[in-house]
Amino acid sequence: MAKVFVIVEHRQGVMRDATFELISLARELQSRSGLEPAAVVIGHGVRTFADTLSKYLPRTIVVESETLADFRYETYAAVLKDILERETPLVTLCPQSAFGMELLPRLSVESARPCATDCIKVEMEGAGLSVVRSIYNGKIHSRSTFAPSGGYLVTVRSGSYAPAAEAGSAGTIDDCPCPPFKAPFKTEFLGYREAAAGAVDISQSPFLVSIGRGIKDAENVPKAQELADRLGAVLACSRPVVDKKWLGKERQVGTSGRTVKPKVYIALGISGAFQHLAGIKGSGVFIAVNRDAKAPIFSAADYGVVEDMFKIIDALKEQIGS
Amino acid sequence: MEILVCVKKVPDTADAEVVLKQDGTGIKEDDLASGINEWDNYAVEEAIRIKETHGGTVTVATIGSADSEDVLRRCLAMGADNAIMIDDASFKGADPYGIARGLCGVAGKGSYDLVLAGAQAGDDGYAMVGPVLAGYLGWPHATLVTSILLEGKTVTVTRELEGGLEEMLRIELPAVLTIQTGINEPRYVSIMGIRKVRAKEIPVLDPAAIGLAPGEIGANANRIKRTGLAVPPAGKEAEMIKGTPAEIARKILDIVKERGGVA
Repeated sequence: MAKVFVIVEHRQGVMRDATFELISLARELQSRSGLEPAAVVIGHGVRTFADTLSKYLPRTIVVESETLADFRYETYAAVLKDILERETPLVTLCPQSAFGMELLPRLSVESARPCATDCIKVEMEGAGLSVVRSIYNGKIHSRSTFAPSGGYLVTVRSGSYAPAAEAGSAGTIDDCPCPPFKAPFKTEFLGYREAAAGAVDISQSPFLVSIGRGIKDAENVPKAQELADRLGAVLACSRPVVDKKWLGKERQVGTSGRTVKPKVYIALGISGAFQHLAGIKGSGVFIAVNRDAKAPIFSAADYGVVEDMFKIIDALKEQIGS
Repeated sequence: MEILVCVKKVPDTADAEVVLKQDGTGIKEDDLASGINEWDNYAVEEAIRIKETHGGTVTVATIGSADSEDVLRRCLAMGADNAIMIDDASFKGADPYGIARGLCGVAGKGSYDLVLAGAQAGDDGYAMVGPVLAGYLGWPHATLVTSILLEGKTVTVTRELEGGLEEMLRIELPAVLTIQTGINEPRYVSIMGIRKVRAKEIPVLDPAAIGLAPGEIGANANRIKRTGLAVPPAGKEAEMIKGTPAEIARKILDIVKERGGVA
């Protein structure tokens, strides 16, 4: 029977949430198309992950080696290529993350299997695989199939599938030996670094006023800061504001910045890229102000205002008084 | 230090309405502004900074039509030394593998120490061309790079991870690095600057000139086959607050008080 594999993502001793979303997808491919699902976890000290994973899927493949202690595409791709050649899964899933983006396109070349990245829907269509991707800033969905191949690689956007619950029955765990590596390696892992270290912890604030590209200029940032101060809120922002160095990384809301769950989130001039929206999941009241009535932020917000953000900032300040 | 930077012209869809062509094969680009892919702009700036510190040359390359020339001229005005255009007629509809194949041909014609590309593009967003190109070249790669430090025959880079975390890697040269936005502050390009490079010759190469066989690229050679485009179904919509700015502000403050309980 054809197989679907989930490549397990873990970092610093913790399995990442996206893995459990892919387990949901693998189960869906099992119930709809009869694919046999399995998790593939490789690394050092990952046997305990396998014990957990065996509660979710009927089979877990483990490769344990000290050489795999820190993620490097070189070693991980070599191990996975070996597994793909032995097991020939029809579909191999991995999160679209810093891990998946580094690994899967390269594994695609090394293992001669086509890969589609950042998919939001994955389904079998006859004997082939069909995927949906969100492109042009989320404004268009594109459907694709693949040139026929013995196996397909897919990375999946986080949030596309709900995280799976335990299955209630214990699966099998297959310990596989680590294949020999072709040393010397050309990449070396040196360590982790906190890029968002700073005095402010926006994740601790119940009230965030957040600014995006619409702030237009560094000299406008104090206007938003003043509003936040008067409201008793903390100022946060989306990625473009940090890219331009107008605010520090510690204030960035989103996948690569901070994940927040305030009681109130007011987004000013933020268009609503999915990476940003992923960072405010589960927040309380969400109010968005944007001039573009079609901005994706309005599909995520509770309340929307189509207006120039500066007019709203001024009006709010006037209402509050000084 | 010989650096090749791969760039692409893309339509700006961030703050624009995107409309499908009637036959559903693409989007209407006539009414959209277009320019250098945002990630590529940071890659060009980074290459020029490396050159300014360590010497060498920066070559920018694009697979595109004559319409992409302005993007290449802009890179020259920023400080790139050479520009190469690969005529895109035979690349029409090419997937990331086809584009990487073409860029591999370009890289093979020079003796580059470093290839930089944007981490992804603002149109189809595969984020694949860089690492696939590295695979074709047999070079090491790093994606989502947020800093580069050159040290002899190696580079030390940071990669952006999730949750404000970065990882540090040392990589042997030659290598392919894909650049994340925010790595630097790209310089301003003046109209005078663009005028200065307007006479600079930009060679246009066809696929044969970069060692590609006919049929190796283009829609028929694709491994990812696009079968259709659609406007996504409307999701949940926010409750819209209307009125004068003063009325809107009053309602926002009411909502914050009543539903948020924070003010």
